[in-house]
Amino acid sequence: MAKDTSLILMIFLPFIGSAMAAFFPSNARNAEAWLAGAVTVCGLVLASMCYPAIVAEGPVRAQIEWLPTLGLNFTLRMDGFAWLFAMLVSGIGFLVVLYARYYMSPEDPIPRFYAFFLAFMGAMLGIVLSGNLILLVVFWELTSIFSFLLIGYWYHNANARDGARMALTVTGIGGLCLLAGVLLIGHIVGSYDLDVVLASGDLIRSSDLYLPALILFLLGALTKSAQFPFHFWLPNAMAAPTPVSAYLHSATMVKAGVFLMARFWPVLAGTYEWFWIVGFAGMASLLLGAYFAIFQRDIKGLLAYSTISHLGLITLLLSLGSPLGLIAAIFHMTNHATFKASLFMAAGIIDHETGTRDMQRLGGLFRFMPFTATLAMVASAAMAGVPLLNGFLSKEMFFAEAIETHADSILDRVAPYVAVLASAFAVTYSIRFIHGVFFGKLPDDLPREPHEPPFLMRFPIQLLVLTCLVVGIVPGLTIGPFLHTAVTSVLGLATPEYSLAIWHGVTLPLLMSFLALLGGALLYLLLKNYLAHCEEGPPYFRQLKGQRIFERVMVAVSWRGARFLENRLGTRRLQPQLRLLVAVALIAAAWPLYHMSFGLAAFSWNLDDAVFSGLWAIGIFCAVGAAYQAKFHRLVALIFLGGAGLVTCTTFVWFSAPDLAVTQLLVEIVTTVLILLGLRWLPKRSEEFQTDAIRMAARLRRYRDLAIAVAAGGGMTLVAYAVMTRAAPPTIADYFLEKAYTEGGGRNVVNVILVDFRGFDTFGEITVLGIVALTVFSLFRRFRPAPDSVESPEQQRVQNATDEARPDRTAGETVSDYLLIPAVIMQWLFPVIIVLAAYLFFRGHDLPGGGFAAGVAMAAAFILQYLAAGTRWVEDRLRVLPLNWIGFGLLLAALVGMGSWLFGYPFLTSHSQYVELPLIGSIPVASAILFDLGVFSLVLGATVLMLIAFAHQSVRRLRASRIAAAEEETA
Amino acid sequence: MTHAADLPAWAALPTAFFLLLGSGLTLLGAIGLLRFGSFYERVHAPTLGTTWGAGGILIASMICFTVLQSRPALHEILIAAFVIVTTPVSLMLLARAALYRDRTENNGGVPAFEAESEGTDGEASPKSSDQKQTKGQ
Repeated sequence: MAKDTSLILMIFLPFIGSAMAAFFPSNARNAEAWLAGAVTVCGLVLASMCYPAIVAEGPVRAQIEWLPTLGLNFTLRMDGFAWLFAMLVSGIGFLVVLYARYYMSPEDPIPRFYAFFLAFMGAMLGIVLSGNLILLVVFWELTSIFSFLLIGYWYHNANARDGARMALTVTGIGGLCLLAGVLLIGHIVGSYDLDVVLASGDLIRSSDLYLPALILFLLGALTKSAQFPFHFWLPNAMAAPTPVSAYLHSATMVKAGVFLMARFWPVLAGTYEWFWIVGFAGMASLLLGAYFAIFQRDIKGLLAYSTISHLGLITLLLSLGSPLGLIAAIFHMTNHATFKASLFMAAGIIDHETGTRDMQRLGGLFRFMPFTATLAMVASAAMAGVPLLNGFLSKEMFFAEAIETHADSILDRVAPYVAVLASAFAVTYSIRFIHGVFFGKLPDDLPREPHEPPFLMRFPIQLLVLTCLVVGIVPGLTIGPFLHTAVTSVLGLATPEYSLAIWHGVTLPLLMSFLALLGGALLYLLLKNYLAHCEEGPPYFRQLKGQRIFERVMVAVSWRGARFLENRLGTRRLQPQLRLLVAVALIAAAWPLYHMSFGLAAFSWNLDDAVFSGLWAIGIFCAVGAAYQAKFHRLVALIFLGGAGLVTCTTFVWFSAPDLAVTQLLVEIVTTVLILLGLRWLPKRSEEFQTDAIRMAARLRRYRDLAIAVAAGGGMTLVAYAVMTRAAPPTIADYFLEKAYTEGGGRNVVNVILVDFRGFDTFGEITVLGIVALTVFSLFRRFRPAPDSVESPEQQRVQNATDEARPDRTAGETVSDYLLIPAVIMQWLFPVIIVLAAYLFFRGHDLPGGGFAAGVAMAAAFILQYLAAGTRWVEDRLRVLPLNWIGFGLLLAALVGMGSWLFGYPFLTSHSQYVELPLIGSIPVASAILFDLGVFSLVLGATVLMLIAFAHQSVRRLRASRIAAAEEETA
Repeated sequence: MTHAADLPAWAALPTAFFLLLGSGLTLLGAIGLLRFGSFYERVHAPTLGTTWGAGGILIASMICFTVLQSRPALHEILIAAFVIVTTPVSLMLLARAALYRDRTENNGGVPAFEAESEGTDGEASPKSSDQKQTKGQ
């Protein structure tokens, strides 16, 4: 397989798998696990297949054009470093899938889990393999989103929701900062291509914008890697299912931050600013994380703080600016991923088997699960840095780097002491974890009787622990060559000599290691009794919770700040809002006209066509009448509005635009009916303007509004006049007229433009229409009508009172009696209108009509049914599912558009030909007709959805007022 | 319009006749709507326009376009059918709404409405037969 294909597949397979996983039945645990396993194994195989090429020829690349005119391409690039990470992501992904199969309970909605999991994996691989900075940020934000969804997987749990929201807020804001930073870097370099950026380190470091770019970039990286002071989200993210914690919050996602810092290390590192910011964040996280980890009661909390500490170690190594530090950092990234993932899985097993993760309640589990206990011990030893394990090797490299002087400063001088202290803490919490869980007295109040987990659940831990051991004992033979490829791909020719051997002789780093081991063990002995009974959280820092500070800030920003702005700048009244809107539009339009002259043609009366002028006189009269009556006689205003609409419609016919006329007529009908239905909910005339003083103020306000309205309308008239009296510029109309039949396969140019030439515009427009319908619907769901229109209208009350007063009638009978004949006719018209809609739809390609007109006509049929027999009657008999129709329409339009990709054409290319049908003969068939069907379905759905919003409002209000009446009676 | 000159005299005459008949009746209906006094009288006037008024214009249209295009133009029948089905219904709705309103507001000059206080069987039965009569109209 070509290398570029395998790269693209590596990104897309997880997403395809995710889409598939989402549609599995909710009890398909095994099928889901097989699918996810297959996807991860594919990722592994594809990545391994690329390895020889990377070693031989350097980075493998793939490119798909995205926005070539903006210099944006979907570029993928895999060098040794990216390869190492891709292997980590896919490999640990596979093990976690296997583990999750046994971890997740049958009651959990499994499809959601695997769908998010695979999508996350795709996004993570995207970060690792991106060859374009913008693409990288896109995938970066995707990981934040999927991490949010996965942390909040058990959304009925408040902790999970809060943790998810906090993680998303912190990492999402970081991601936005990263985007800004990347844009700055792109601005400095002049390209977003990773290769170009990596080659222009000197240019970036010498730029004036280096510091802002660096700070923004680091905000992104440090938030993602949970570094001080942004570390607080990670412990809260532990509400996620344990497989997620093992995968996202120890092995992969939190590594994205340090990955990015290492990736851009050759470009950004080596300056004083880098050293201070990164070094301080790393050192603080290293020390505080380790210290906090000791005092956690929750196993996962301990592991989370330990993760922060280890990431701090990596960050500190990266801050030093020495190539050896970078090597140690990359090495520690892989080591940490292996031992921490296995520890998380072990924690999950303990939780799974005993029902608790509280170390003060646990103890003595070695007797019940010796195998798991042994594995956890080895992994913890690796975490603590015990010799012959992989953690020891990278930690020794870290010590060696810490003693070196890199940039003489206080930070550099304290580094060795901090390193030893933090390592001692690491030993302490590792011992605490092992001793507290597996040894000591067995508590008798465990929620469940513990036993060994199934073999396959333990298998991933076994494999990871084995890796820890093998890498720790023979590093040169196992990880050595891969690490070398990774390091050279970052450092290039500057790669220094380094040695992965276990024994370097008795050196200072070795002594430091033993000092840390001894110190940590002693510290545990001292703290043992305290830890068995202490409260959650470290002493002295217990009060100072990052979480609480975060929540304060959130409240201040999103609640108090928003309220403040709303009080100062907002209004709940529609009139001022509209006034503002119109005034701004007026000024915006007048501004350029004031500066550049209008150039109006001389005005002349042209009344040759008396009939047409008369028609327009009627139209103008209707429009002005509608405005005049709108305030107090809404029904009259609506009738006038209808008159104006009909004049517009006739105008279209006059100027030979039958398409527009048909659509206008149908839209006119439907909107009139919808507004009629809505009239009933408008508030009555306010009585408060009756006193003289207020009347004066109100009058003044009205004159001002009148002035604004006249100015806006006059301006519109002037613009229209200016446009119409000018000689028409060369238009593209001729082009469309010429090509409509030859290329679009239709004789109705308007329709061909809509569904073919400008199909993408139409696609956008129907999307907007769908959104509008949903908005109307949701506004109505929360609609609280004015107090005076809550009750049912007077007529309805009188009718119901008559019905109720008579024993032989039930409520609503009068109205259905009165409506009997119209109702029958309306119901009979249902099929007739359907035929009309079908007719409009099918002739659309060659003659006036089309999906939009057909959709509106069809909606009119539904409206008639609702009018004729009432909401309940219709919905008992017809399946009215407007939301599905909207969704179907949008999907169909999108799918038809994408269908042209299969044939190698751009999005929404239409194909047309004639098809011979028996009896009917030869008819034109274009793929655009399917697109038009999507338009039809969406328009129908959107219109009916709005209708239903009105209809249900009446039904619901009735019920509400009836309940109120019943309460009054009982009281 | 532009093609009117192509129409042979034998076709032009009936076309003009029906067109004038239809539009004349429609005009008459419109004047009636304006001039009549009460709502119930007014309801009748526009029916002139929707029955023979529309019918005349449609027949004229059929003759004209059948001759001009030398093939039978029968779309107008469909229009006529829908006009015949729908207009009476809307007029009936209007009339019944007005009647209902006049009855509830106790305006004079309309047949009596079932009084709400009277609920005895003896009085209700003739009223309900009255109801059935109106239903049957």
